[in-house]
Amino acid sequence: MMEVLAALEGSGFGTWLRESGSIWAYPAVLTLHTMGMGVLVGASAVIDLRLIGFAPQIPLAPLGRLFPIMWTGFWVNAITGVALFVADATTKGTTTVFMAKLAIIVVAVIVLFDIKRRVYGANATAVVTPGARALAAASLALWFLAIATGRYMAYV
Amino acid sequence: MVPTLDGFAFWLRATPISEAIRVLPWLWPLGEILHFVGLCLLVGVVGFFDLRLLGLFRQVPISAAWSLVPWGKAGFGLAALTGVTFFVGAPDQYVNNVAFYFKVVFLIIAGANAVFFEWAYAAKVTRNDIATVAPRTLKTIAVVSIVSWFFVIYWGRMLPFVGNAF
Repeated sequence: MMEVLAALEGSGFGTWLRESGSIWAYPAVLTLHTMGMGVLVGASAVIDLRLIGFAPQIPLAPLGRLFPIMWTGFWVNAITGVALFVADATTKGTTTVFMAKLAIIVVAVIVLFDIKRRVYGANATAVVTPGARALAAASLALWFLAIATGRYMAYV
Repeated sequence: MVPTLDGFAFWLRATPISEAIRVLPWLWPLGEILHFVGLCLLVGVVGFFDLRLLGLFRQVPISAAWSLVPWGKAGFGLAALTGVTFFVGAPDQYVNNVAFYFKVVFLIIAGANAVFFEWAYAAKVTRNDIATVAPRTLKTIAVVSIVSWFFVIYWGRMLPFVGNAF
């Protein structure tokens, strides 16, 4: 496992991203990762806040169009996240906080799918069920933890 | 000779509050976490309202979209509070950092744009009376908002790379 991580980190791409000093390498990828976070978490928060009960005048149906926006943010961050991992594979691949971040994001995305199914699926009801409300609160908490662990990685 | 804020930074850094910010080991990481949480709220909620001004989400009444904006303002407040904390804690890493000045310039543009919208159109928006405002004006405001917040984030992200901040 350690050999794989070391090979990734020592690869041409990993080395370039980490050491080239180009503004288009690490800084640009990290910036995209930040933008993707803002779009994914921000759009998710809009739906979550509405489901929890804020801004009840907003009709639920049109908010379903936020999902493609969220998936865009998600894929930008999945791709830039893999790149950032490769650049520091031996450190990130061996720290608990990174594993925790990944696990939290997996659960957050599952919750997102469940919200989509319950609120916008074939059997969706026009009223927000207590279950959907609880999922929305869980979604906000999970995104908070994802940001917290992600930010904390800079200090370990 | 370009005037610098070195003297101010030196003075600020020596104040007890600045020292306290640096001494508490958990404060900086916690501040960074809350700075990013604020960023997400601002981007999501204000971005959603901007898209509504641009003509997306037309089935959402403009007053309804506006009723979520206090959450975006709260996100901005959180980011501003933690941002000021960073500056007070380590002013020396910002005052000679060109990325910091670019960030402030775009913050001023984004802020002036938001204040202008609030002053000129908030009342109309709450009454759903926005149809009387030229769509081009609203779209311009929305584009200025999206572009200027984009560059606030961009230059914030560049702080450690172009300058030397952490």
